[in-house]
Amino acid sequence: MSPSSDPTAGLEFRPTAPAAGEVVCEMAVELPADLHARPAGQVVRVAAGVEAAVEIRHGDKSAPGRSVLALMALGAVAGDVVVVKASGPGAASAVAEVAAVLAAAA
Amino acid sequence: MVQPVGIVLVSHSGQLAAGLRDLLLQIAGAGDGAPVEAAGGTADGRLGTSDARIRAAIKAVDRGAGVVVLTDLGSAVLTAKAVLAEEAREDVVLVDAPLVEGAVAAAVLAAAGADLDAVTAAAREARDVPKF
Repeated sequence: MSPSSDPTAGLEFRPTAPAAGEVVCEMAVELPADLHARPAGQVVRVAAGVEAAVEIRHGDKSAPGRSVLALMALGAVAGDVVVVKASGPGAASAVAEVAAVLAAAA
Repeated sequence: MVQPVGIVLVSHSGQLAAGLRDLLLQIAGAGDGAPVEAAGGTADGRLGTSDARIRAAIKAVDRGAGVVVLTDLGSAVLTAKAVLAEEAREDVVLVDAPLVEGAVAAAVLAAAGADLDAVTAAAREARDVPKF
């Protein structure tokens, strides 16, 4: 999967079954660099500033967007695809913002 | 320009604290963007803790945005608590967390410009987050 120049391309809007009306958005991002301390810290700053609940999935593991240690423990490296998921108010822009941070990771 | 939160590393071992500081500079991007001082060992370089070292370290990393203090265990906690009680400052916080993991989490957040509450929360989280 190649990274898109439009960070919102590939965004899916999926209402979840359990919580009626809750908006969930997901976007896959191919990492240009390892998800190490610096990008993890940037993800946390974004996640802490939005209302939506953010989660990053890598394979069968997932980490809350607000936990820098959990993000680093995902062990995601350059070339890996991670899925950014956000649920709740502002989910779409939250996903776009986090995805942009990851897509720019260095 | 927002000032960074400072981090103090307290250990019985000078080498351990200094080595951890090196690690934070390398992996967490700490340094100028997030000052870190090691306060390990006694004043004469033996294993143990020194209130003077801790006090000096707090002063060295204090940029006005608060300071987070992390310790290894035992008397490092006692000495740090005694220093903080003396300082009596709300913006110098001793966090109960594993030293290395807490320091890494704190440093990453501090280097990213987070405020004292966020840096403290990140350090505290280290108690619960599995490494793998």
